[in-house]
Amino acid sequence: MAVAEAPLLDPEFLAKLERLEIVSRKIFLGRMKGERKSKRRGSSVEFADHRNYVAGDDIRHIDWNVYGRLDKLFIKLFLEEEDLHFHLLVDSSLSMDFGSPTKLRYAKQVAAALAFVGLVCHDRVVVESFSTALGKPTPSVRGRSQMRRVIDHLESIEADGGSDLTAAAKEFAIKHPQKGVVVVVSDFLDKRGYESALRYLLARDLDIYAIQVLSREEVEPELTGDLRLVDCEDDDVAEITMSAPLLERYKRTLDGFTGGLKDWCSKRGITYIFTTNQNPFDRLVLNYLRERGLVR
Amino acid sequence: MESFSEYFHTPLDPARWAALAGVPVALIALYFLKLKRRPERVPSTLLWRRSMEDLHVNSLFQRLRRNLLLFLQLLIIFLAMFALAGPRSKGFFNERQKYVIVIDNSASMSATDAGKTRLELAKAEARKVVDGMNASDLAMIISFNDRAKVEASYTSNKSVLRGAIERVAASEGSTSPREALEVAAGLANPSRQFEEGTVATAEVPPKLVMLTDGGFDDVEGFSLGNLQASIVVVGKPPRATRKAEADNPPPVEGKPLPNPSDNVAIAALQTRRDDEKTDRFQIFGRIHNYREESASIEAKLYKHDSAKPTSPGSLLDAIALEIAAQADQSFKFDLPGSGAAEFEVRIDVKDAQPLDNRAFAVVSEPRRSKVLIVSSGDRYLIDTLKTPVTLQEADFTVVKPEEYDKSPVDRQVAGGEFDWIIYENFRPKQAPEADALYFGAFPPGAVYDNPKSLEHPVILDWDTTHPLMQFIRDLSTVFIQKAKGIEPPPGTTPLIGSNLGTLAFVVPRSGYRDVVVSFPLVEGTEFNTNWPLKISFPLFLYNCLNVLGDPTTNASDRVHVPGRPVILRVGSLVDRIEVTAPDGSRSTVKRSTQGTFIYNQADRSGIYYVNRGENDREAFAVNLFDPRESDIATRGLVPEGVPAAEAERYRIKIGYNPVEGKRIGTTRERSEWWPWLAAGALAIVMLEWYIYNKKVYI
Repeated sequence: MAVAEAPLLDPEFLAKLERLEIVSRKIFLGRMKGERKSKRRGSSVEFADHRNYVAGDDIRHIDWNVYGRLDKLFIKLFLEEEDLHFHLLVDSSLSMDFGSPTKLRYAKQVAAALAFVGLVCHDRVVVESFSTALGKPTPSVRGRSQMRRVIDHLESIEADGGSDLTAAAKEFAIKHPQKGVVVVVSDFLDKRGYESALRYLLARDLDIYAIQVLSREEVEPELTGDLRLVDCEDDDVAEITMSAPLLERYKRTLDGFTGGLKDWCSKRGITYIFTTNQNPFDRLVLNYLRERGLVR
Repeated sequence: MESFSEYFHTPLDPARWAALAGVPVALIALYFLKLKRRPERVPSTLLWRRSMEDLHVNSLFQRLRRNLLLFLQLLIIFLAMFALAGPRSKGFFNERQKYVIVIDNSASMSATDAGKTRLELAKAEARKVVDGMNASDLAMIISFNDRAKVEASYTSNKSVLRGAIERVAASEGSTSPREALEVAAGLANPSRQFEEGTVATAEVPPKLVMLTDGGFDDVEGFSLGNLQASIVVVGKPPRATRKAEADNPPPVEGKPLPNPSDNVAIAALQTRRDDEKTDRFQIFGRIHNYREESASIEAKLYKHDSAKPTSPGSLLDAIALEIAAQADQSFKFDLPGSGAAEFEVRIDVKDAQPLDNRAFAVVSEPRRSKVLIVSSGDRYLIDTLKTPVTLQEADFTVVKPEEYDKSPVDRQVAGGEFDWIIYENFRPKQAPEADALYFGAFPPGAVYDNPKSLEHPVILDWDTTHPLMQFIRDLSTVFIQKAKGIEPPPGTTPLIGSNLGTLAFVVPRSGYRDVVVSFPLVEGTEFNTNWPLKISFPLFLYNCLNVLGDPTTNASDRVHVPGRPVILRVGSLVDRIEVTAPDGSRSTVKRSTQGTFIYNQADRSGIYYVNRGENDREAFAVNLFDPRESDIATRGLVPEGVPAAEAERYRIKIGYNPVEGKRIGTTRERSEWWPWLAAGALAIVMLEWYIYNKKVYI
């Protein structure tokens, strides 16, 4: 799988990004810099809603006019205008180094595309990789001119080590207390589970997008015969004899896994997107992400 | 078994079936043991493990149940096994062919003229016959030299037969196929049961395959019956007859041309007292050259040490000899010293038969012989025996007939203390443990019970070539009044013949010899014959003393042939003796009921030491000395170039039927195709298995 890959900055890829730029410009047409509206309620000038006062709320936000009229305490809520922190977390564990193109490359392409959109929209973009722990991040960059740095950083990410979502998420949550958007691009195939990892991120009040990338071989295995399957990360061995029932059972398990992740995420307001490495990344970014609300 | 063989006709023996039964077991085991599990790296085993969790409960059977391929393979194998079981419908049943394989293991089969020893070649040929058998065919293996031994009785188990062939060991015996042929012919006899459940019927005549070099005389007076005999002649075939020889057939009618062979053999060896120096011994020997060209060889004399029976001995003397082609050459060694000693003569020659390049001789300690005379006081007999010369060689004891059955004489006789007993007009109730000479009486035994009286027989001839009758010339002047006549028993050597029948003869008796003179010397006080007055009478007694009473004619001086029992006489009253063979092995021999010791293990030529107790040793030599075994030219093959009319004389005749000999290697192995087909089927299954599992694409 670790064949020499074409660099991310190949002409075709750049051409796709250019198209993406036009499209994203269209999307963001007429908007101002840093003018991204968050779903979050916060403190800004644009009123969003009222809600009941509860003890501990900032009394500065009490709408005294309403109090005067209704003799009840209401808090004015404003849409928060944020200087958006756009975090891209790319899984670089060994399990991502499979498929054609490898899941890692696919993840890098998706990350590059999202970063491009983010930079074009003048968000603060940070790209980080993780395997057992969080890798070195790019500096927080803004503006289209920084695209080159982001791509260089993405290029330097190599598949290495096992995956420990939890540890990486915990480290991330500690490092980044501020609000923002975090996109996790991973296969989520962590034997320790993804739940606690996502809980760490949820605790930080972030907009979370989980993009699960699986290779075609994982979705439609083409294995036959008696096999000793070796886990590339922890060398765990599973001995199987391929048969139609086993294959069926595997697919059911896979559906159960992805479905479980999807349900778990939906319940907690995490946007979950499933893709395989066969799905062109630009289409994913443009159509799919728009549908899911990651880009507008 | 019987019903099984009606429906199945398997070419495999049980051992191979067992091996074959292991194939499906091994196939299943391969699946279980996961020997061929291919490692495959995957991103994560997480999902696979979860998929397998509930499969684990009965994974073994799950794996088998799901594996269609395994079942297909097992099906192919079971079908192949069923095919090998040879199923067939009842009613069509081939009669079993029976083979009798007779292997010659006589001394001449040790010859190496055809590369390996002839016995090995014969065994290889026998194996070919066994390999060519059908699975239901029966065969038996008989080995023979001068005796036949059934190595394996009728069986269809080829591994048993091969084992039996392997067990046939080279011997130094002479060749006599009669016994083996009798065994074979007896087994060809219809409706005889050989082993449980196997009844040989005569519907298919048994085939006799004899593997021999033809070193025996034609078997006469023997009928092969319905045996189909074929003789495979092992060894170098005779050279093609030259034109000149073919045009001039050999003068002797019915005899083949002399056939030279690559052998130089010691044909005889004997020790004798030196005529001039009577305390010294000489060794005489004769060497025969069977080659076509003359041979110059060296004969070496070795002395053996009784303390070291297995040592090669120490060289004493050597002489160079030039022996003409196809001729004899005598040689002589003067022995140093006078005591008992054991000697070996070796000839340094490279020939095809090494067994007869060594010969052994023993000089034993001179011992005075003990003679018992049972006589009522015949002065002529007793005084003639007791001459100054004879008294030097023997002790004489005279007893009256009435004292014979009483102690201590009866014990001494039964214990074998005497070398020779003379009975004059007295017939003992039991045969003595000694050589015996009877005058006017017969030995005990039913065949001598009713003699007829002969009046005035006239002596017509006597056998002067017999050692007992040496130098006897004047019997024609001997008159006899009365004699007793009987029909001599079989095995008798007549000594004196008359117009009324045999008057004196020698008859062997369990290791001893009885000499019977059927006329008495005296009748009461009257002469019955004038023989005691003739010069031949003391000569006859002296000959008897030398031949019968000679203590040196005990084991050591007789000629012993390998494979034959050796009868040892021991005077002292020991119950058991120990015999050390040339290879150093020792065996204990018990006294037989006749008072002798019979040693049955003299299978090899060499010097055997007999230990009779404290410092009482004796030795005897066993020698091949068999011209038939030394002449290793093969017989039974018609040489190329011999006209058809002359071919008959070259063939071996068994019961007047000449049997054409076949050259070795002409036994064609019957090739079986099924093992290759079965192996092919197995290989295809394996290949299929490999292709399926390794995903080999062509």
